[in-house]
Amino acid sequence: MSQKMTPTAVVVGSLAILLTIVFMVVFWPWATMEDSPSEIFRSRTAREAAGRRIYMENGCVYCHSQSIRTIDWGHGASRIAQAGDYVGDSPILLGSARTGVDLSQEGGEHPDDWHIAHFINPRYTRPSSIMPPFAWLGMEQIQLLTDYVQGLGMKNADRRMERQRHWKQKVIEAYEAGPEYNVRWLAEQVPEGWRRIPNPYPTTEVGLARGHKIYQEFCLGCHGPIGDGMGPAQPWIYPPPLNFTILKDREISGGIIYYQLMNGITGSAMPYFKKDLESEKLWDVGNYVAVYFINQSDANGEPRGIDASNEP
Amino acid sequence: MPGIPTEELESHLTARAFCLTSAVWFALATTVGMMAAGYLIAPDFMANIGFLQFGRIRPIHVNLVLFGFVTPGLLGAAHYYIPKLMRTPLYSQKLGLATVILWNITLVTGVIALSAGHTQAREYAELIWPVDVMVVAVFALVFVNMILTIRNRREPILYVSVWYACAAVVMTGTTYFIGNVVWRPDTGALTGIPDAILLWFYGHNIFGLLLTPLALGVAYYVIPKVTRNPLYSHSLSLLGFWGLLVVYTHIGTHHLLQVPVPTWLKVIAIVDSIAMVIPVMVFLINIWYTARDRLGEIHGDIAGKFVFTGTILYFFVSIQGSMMALPQVQRITHFNNWVVGHAHVGVLGFAGMIALGGLYYILPRITGKPLYSRFLADLQYWLVLIGVSGFTVVLTIVGLIQGNAWLNGETVYRVLPEIHPYYVLRVSIGFLIAAGAYVGLYNVVRTLFFNGETERP
Repeated sequence: MSQKMTPTAVVVGSLAILLTIVFMVVFWPWATMEDSPSEIFRSRTAREAAGRRIYMENGCVYCHSQSIRTIDWGHGASRIAQAGDYVGDSPILLGSARTGVDLSQEGGEHPDDWHIAHFINPRYTRPSSIMPPFAWLGMEQIQLLTDYVQGLGMKNADRRMERQRHWKQKVIEAYEAGPEYNVRWLAEQVPEGWRRIPNPYPTTEVGLARGHKIYQEFCLGCHGPIGDGMGPAQPWIYPPPLNFTILKDREISGGIIYYQLMNGITGSAMPYFKKDLESEKLWDVGNYVAVYFINQSDANGEPRGIDASNEP
Repeated sequence: MPGIPTEELESHLTARAFCLTSAVWFALATTVGMMAAGYLIAPDFMANIGFLQFGRIRPIHVNLVLFGFVTPGLLGAAHYYIPKLMRTPLYSQKLGLATVILWNITLVTGVIALSAGHTQAREYAELIWPVDVMVVAVFALVFVNMILTIRNRREPILYVSVWYACAAVVMTGTTYFIGNVVWRPDTGALTGIPDAILLWFYGHNIFGLLLTPLALGVAYYVIPKVTRNPLYSHSLSLLGFWGLLVVYTHIGTHHLLQVPVPTWLKVIAIVDSIAMVIPVMVFLINIWYTARDRLGEIHGDIAGKFVFTGTILYFFVSIQGSMMALPQVQRITHFNNWVVGHAHVGVLGFAGMIALGGLYYILPRITGKPLYSRFLADLQYWLVLIGVSGFTVVLTIVGLIQGNAWLNGETVYRVLPEIHPYYVLRVSIGFLIAAGAYVGLYNVVRTLFFNGETERP
């Protein structure tokens, strides 16, 4: 039997099998796949293309996917990926691991200054990040990389970027009008109903401990360890991070803090945390800020409704 | 010199050079791997050194393990057993040596290019066009030497190891050319989803058509030799050989089950991934029946021990791989460290262990002296085995934590602090593997160059 396995049989046989299968599972899909662009598709600008080059050179693709699945909840999960989203990508950068977050829809999630602080050192804006710092790239390349990332999501990203620019102007105006006006303006942007709601959880030692931990993992990079807005990201961000210690007696309810944690403040570098943190965690970190930095908490204050069953 | 068998007249230069190449790059590749794992627990360690940052050294680690450590190790054994089985000297030791030198130049060029940021950014296909051409060229040179040796054979029947070695070199040269889109030097890529399909066809075949057949070839040679048993079944080796070629080549798209690729292609990938059980079990039944009742011999022979352990890990990684192709399983395992664990059992536990076994099998035979130290070889065995097993356990746990958390709606940032302790464990266990690589390098260098032992009687 083995005598039929001549060198020719082995070499020609294996090549014939290989090429047949290449035809079937590589060439055939390539030849027959629909390749029309999706409704969000647009081509990249020259700066975005240059930024993509930097993204490739530095192996960003090893930790960041650009591929949102039906089962995803986290970053970018506002749109399930379609084949038509990728028609301009050569190579395609789907990625194979999420050591970091998915970036399919990253464009416009943050304003540019957030990204620049993040590239200088990712822990400035995301204290629990394990991404390498990219300060060594220099500002010019960081700008290009930022342009690329802000284009991810294509037309969806463009809409979000427009929103960022619109609100950026407003938050700068408010900041430059002085702390009194700024604080009032920020509170006024919160819908009326939320402004009247006190923190529904009472202040407890364990709640503050949880809030402390969440603050360290999510907030410290900008607002600093003592809540004065002087975290390491501060020099890169404008308007600078809010100083919590000026908020006493300025009618900052638990509801206002909760709402701003949840939705962020578009235009400023303050991100939304509603994907990262569920309800009780947001109330906990809000109360931590209120108790330790504002020195004034409405936790478990009126209106309370029917007494909660779990409280001490 | 009449009366002296030809193989003793040979210098075995090519096989020696491949052994040394493999041992050196194993040490360097694991060092780079340790560095990368270190960044995951301390990202500001050695911060802002561009050419040493994580995204630059990760592809260096992967490419060096594949093309620096495992492939040359397995080819070293092939350059010993092919002449031996064909009862003729290697066609040209000079060509062989030139091939190994070009191979090393290719690797050095690749490493420098990657660390300088010259990459095509496609996983497993990062190397830029000039390096791609060099890789295809070295595979072509290996093939020429191999096929001309076979043409000069004095043994009419080709043993199964020879089929595997030949097929691996031919198919890898071809797959590498296609997978790296060598006809498009500027990008080395197609566009859009077809690029992903091609990339994973290629990426999976680097394992299925290069490491697997070369490793099976070594196992088919070493296990019957060490146990002094004839191969259990030649029919099974035929079935396993053609089965592997037909089935393995279909399955690359199982990396893309959650991506908008055509459904029929996903179905093919899933069905054939499950069907991989057939060629895998056919090989294992054949090898394990060959070794039946001779486990004592295997335990007593360091090469046998490495290779046999490699076959057990092949069983594990293959069955795991088949299960991982199921869409329901991938809901948990995709995009996280589970897959990294799987890759380490495959490349280091299966192919790497067998490469080391092949190395220890041929070293005494090509130098004509016993191994410098059996103790150090044993030490390396345990370091690598404990390392790769521990690594797999830790990374599988991390993968499950990540996968389940994500499926529950927890974000990446929430999970990162949770998995930090496991990343610390990963570095500690990785240290065992790197230590094993250096112990092996010392042993190989002593055996090749500074072996004080007297000539074998």
